[in-house]
Amino acid sequence: MRVLVLAATLAALSAGAALAAGALEAVPEAPAGSTEVKIAKMKFATPEVRIKAGSAVTWTNTEALPHNVHFKPGGSVDKELEGPMLRSNQTYSVKFNTPGTYDYICTPHPFMKGKVVVE
Amino acid sequence: MTHAYAKLRHAFRYGSTAIGAATLAATLAAGSVVAAEQGAAAAKQAAADLGAGKADDPMVLKAPAPNARRVYVYDPKHFAAISQSFIIDGDAARVVGMADGGFLSNTVVASDGSFFGHANTVFSRIARGKRTDYVELLDARTAEPIADIELPNAPRFLVGTYPWMTALTPNNKTLLFYQFSPQPAVGVVDLAGKKFDRMIEVPDCYHIFPSSNDTFFMHCRDGSLLKVSMGADGKSQTKRTEIFHKENEYLINHPAYSPKNGRLVWPTYTGKIFQVDLSSQEAKFLPAIEAFTDAEKKEGWAPGGWQQVAYHRESDRIFLLGDQRAASKHKAPSRFLFVIDAKTGKRISKLELRHEIDSVGVSQDAKPQLYALSTGAKTLFIFDPETGKEVSSVNQLGAGPQVITTSDM
Ligand SMILES: [Cu+2]
Repeated sequence: MRVLVLAATLAALSAGAALAAGALEAVPEAPAGSTEVKIAKMKFATPEVRIKAGSAVTWTNTEALPHNVHFKPGGSVDKELEGPMLRSNQTYSVKFNTPGTYDYICTPHPFMKGKVVVE
Repeated sequence: MTHAYAKLRHAFRYGSTAIGAATLAATLAAGSVVAAEQGAAAAKQAAADLGAGKADDPMVLKAPAPNARRVYVYDPKHFAAISQSFIIDGDAARVVGMADGGFLSNTVVASDGSFFGHANTVFSRIARGKRTDYVELLDARTAEPIADIELPNAPRFLVGTYPWMTALTPNNKTLLFYQFSPQPAVGVVDLAGKKFDRMIEVPDCYHIFPSSNDTFFMHCRDGSLLKVSMGADGKSQTKRTEIFHKENEYLINHPAYSPKNGRLVWPTYTGKIFQVDLSSQEAKFLPAIEAFTDAEKKEGWAPGGWQQVAYHRESDRIFLLGDQRAASKHKAPSRFLFVIDAKTGKRISKLELRHEIDSVGVSQDAKPQLYALSTGAKTLFIFDPETGKEVSSVNQLGAGPQVITTSDM
């Protein structure tokens, strides 16, 4: 019953070190020159960012409530990428290798929406 | 089946009512006076039949025709993979049938009582494996399935059962259900055509209150309502109302809604009650009511439970569960019921229920029965809301019964 049990979901998510090649690539460190997106007050502070192919976006959660970034299959996203839940001041970086528009949400807060446009 | 059991079933046939194993157990248990009387009457009948040399003739029974006092009690069994619904005749205080459900089902009952059903979720290996979401409709007398409609991509919102997360349109031809993830949406199921129709993407709004066969309202994160008009062409229009409550006024998850007169009754944690009239297909906000005085609030009086509020359409009365409680204990049961005139906001009575009650419901006939469900005691207590007298009860209702559903026939 993983869908509802939040504690179990969180545990499962934090264990997952997502590493994937392809259009989206989770990278362990924020690469130099990566675009910053802050998370605060149940929002992605810059819900739409534009970057060049091959560069990265780094998300930083600035509040106590855990959030993540979650790319669901569809549109430019060929393979699901569900980032770990970020505690306060934790970061997560994704490198975008292919041009396109990448919509994402926060898994437990699907009303939190963002977009990365890769040129 | 023992001979005695067969005889008992035989006896029940003369009462022309359905019986399940749980009923029999409930009947034989000494816990309820009514059940004991029913058991004694059945035994007497069986003995008389035996004495008269009547042959036993086992058969599958039908529940009596549904009326306004037909009550469905849903037991999610504290998040178990398989759940149950108990079909209860409120007049007789007797279980007249049962239906199995999957994980966190949502019950619906037709506005004429002719059928009931569930939006269900099952898995190929009990609680894991392939997930299937589907809508199942059942005949109100036989509990036999009359429709089984699969929902593509497992879209149901798996959550503690909120009655208004799944709803029928007034003509009973469409079922609407809520999807939370990956984005807020409302699924449209064509019951008449027995097929899934489409998902309607909506903003971050929750719950579904159908006001007509092609219009429903939702409650949004920003404190407004959303009106959704379902176009026949498959294109829906949405429109937000004004923001009607403050961000620190927390509206509970179990508002009362009367589809027949479009009244939405929505209490907050502190007992402020918002009312909206949706009957014109536009939201008309009525003056808010305070269920408790400032002095009572200081003494800790506040609403609490699961289904904390019920609304009786004909008398225009609100029934609210309340008790003295610490802050953030809003899901703990209540021992009192506050009867409020919805028009004036005046308190009509404060009834002491003498049980720890989690959910409340009311039949919609002229002299209604009040249904008070205790999740802990697994018992439905039936009251006369005029006098506050407990008239009967039905016990052994599963593991953690929480939801009462009736039909406004
Ligand atoms: Cu979030």
